[in-house]
Amino acid sequence: MSTPVDIVELRDVHMQFEEKKVLDGVSLRIEPQERLVIMGQSGSGKSTILRLILGTLRPDSGSIFFKRFEITRLRRRKLQQVRRHIGMVYQYSALLSSRNVRDNVALPLEELTDKSRSEIDKIVDEKLELVGMEDSKELLPEELSGGMRKRVALARALVLEPELILLDEPSAGLDPVIASVIDELIISLTEKSKVTSITATHEMDSAFRIATRMAMLYQGKIIEEAKPEEFKQSKNPVVAQFVSGSTEGPILEGSLDAITKK
Amino acid sequence: MANTEPPPVLIAEGIGHATRYFLREVGGVFWFIVNTFEETFERIQHGRVPFRAASFFRHTERAGVDSVPLVGLVSFFLGLTMALLTGYQLQRFGTERLIPGLVAIAFTRELGPLLTGIMLAARIGAAFTAELGTMQVSEEVEAIEAMGIGPLRFLVAPRMLALFLLMPCLSTVSNMAAVLASSLVCKAYFSIAFPYFLDLVKDSLLIRDIVTGILKSFLFGLLIAAIACYRGLTVKGGAAGVGTSTTSSVVTAITTVIGCDTLYNIIYTTFYPT
Repeated sequence: MSTPVDIVELRDVHMQFEEKKVLDGVSLRIEPQERLVIMGQSGSGKSTILRLILGTLRPDSGSIFFKRFEITRLRRRKLQQVRRHIGMVYQYSALLSSRNVRDNVALPLEELTDKSRSEIDKIVDEKLELVGMEDSKELLPEELSGGMRKRVALARALVLEPELILLDEPSAGLDPVIASVIDELIISLTEKSKVTSITATHEMDSAFRIATRMAMLYQGKIIEEAKPEEFKQSKNPVVAQFVSGSTEGPILEGSLDAITKK
Repeated sequence: MANTEPPPVLIAEGIGHATRYFLREVGGVFWFIVNTFEETFERIQHGRVPFRAASFFRHTERAGVDSVPLVGLVSFFLGLTMALLTGYQLQRFGTERLIPGLVAIAFTRELGPLLTGIMLAARIGAAFTAELGTMQVSEEVEAIEAMGIGPLRFLVAPRMLALFLLMPCLSTVSNMAAVLASSLVCKAYFSIAFPYFLDLVKDSLLIRDIVTGILKSFLFGLLIAAIACYRGLTVKGGAAGVGTSTTSSVVTAITTVIGCDTLYNIIYTTFYPT
């Protein structure tokens, strides 16, 4: 049997925003039906990786593949076609504020498929039921709580039956119960619908719940890649500090000294 | 006395920077229009509608129908003032029958499109920029792009088409309001009866004047929409960024409308001297 083909691959990706080097030679491979969690501090470039995979950002150097397509070289039209196979859930949900829940979820179907109104309604109902939002169809995003918005965003990301879903901080800013619900939802979706997922988060509980594999991004590099149980036991001082949430360790060393001296 | 004049090198550098910025912006708007057309026609080639009719009509209603009172009222008052002021001057030479032609020509050729352009840049251009800018900072535009939907044809094309088509209609409203106002002044102050007024207008107005005005209006509509949407989609820096871009959008659109109008007139009078 042949080895499974990677669904996403990043090869030596460099990215710089003005003076700040965000990614400094990141290489990653994601196999089908994996649930990869990218960990890292806020501002470490986790979201940047997701945006690079989607092609909404272009790297300074390096290449990114989604299946056999090199995202970094695709022209706009082809890129738009490829994106239909990827669902993205943004940190702040990014629902269209002028459309109600139903129209938000229906948007990709209306714009990108030839389905009839009744077919679209059926799919929208089905996806909203999946995330437990079937009673809020007529509400506008501003009338929803953060957790509800996230669930609608998840439904919208799933509506075109993507092969890959990207989640940017899916449980950040939510209460622990709703956060667990969202995590469970992600697990059940990827198990039921055979979807691959990449999650960027710094929430430890959520990360260990979701992940089948974890990668730690620190100072622009992937410093550790392991299964959750191995990740927990990592000897790498940065990873150990991050997992334990301790103030002792290499992360923030300089700035902590400054704080304690005061 | 100390010499406070900046050295010539600095002045030259300043001019250079300003020119580069200007050219970059002009290029930006130009390619923005080209890309919007490209994305829209690509979609049409695939046998699909580029945007929903409902979305287009929502914009035509907001930009067009809802602007009628403002455009009508302002033009009416301007027509009134213009007829009155020129009337008293012309009366001294006994040529008040020139008023109808004067107002009609001035508005159809020049003031109608220009005034409507300025009013729409302020009223609708600002709204477009603020709306798209807010969508941009709340990542809505990126989310649309991430779904594989072209944001230019989805968000910009209906707005551009709405303003492009509605602008000549609004110019016509402006012209009619001004002519109506001047007819009232002519009747009240200069004893020119309504039928005679109409004859005078018809005598002096050429088809060419009307066509020029309409063509200009199409151009202004396209430019205002393009500048407003371009500024909206290039917003950076949160709520403050939206504010800055909106101001900049209105200023740029008004300046562009007046600049293009002047250019148009120069070209027109060079090639088709009256």
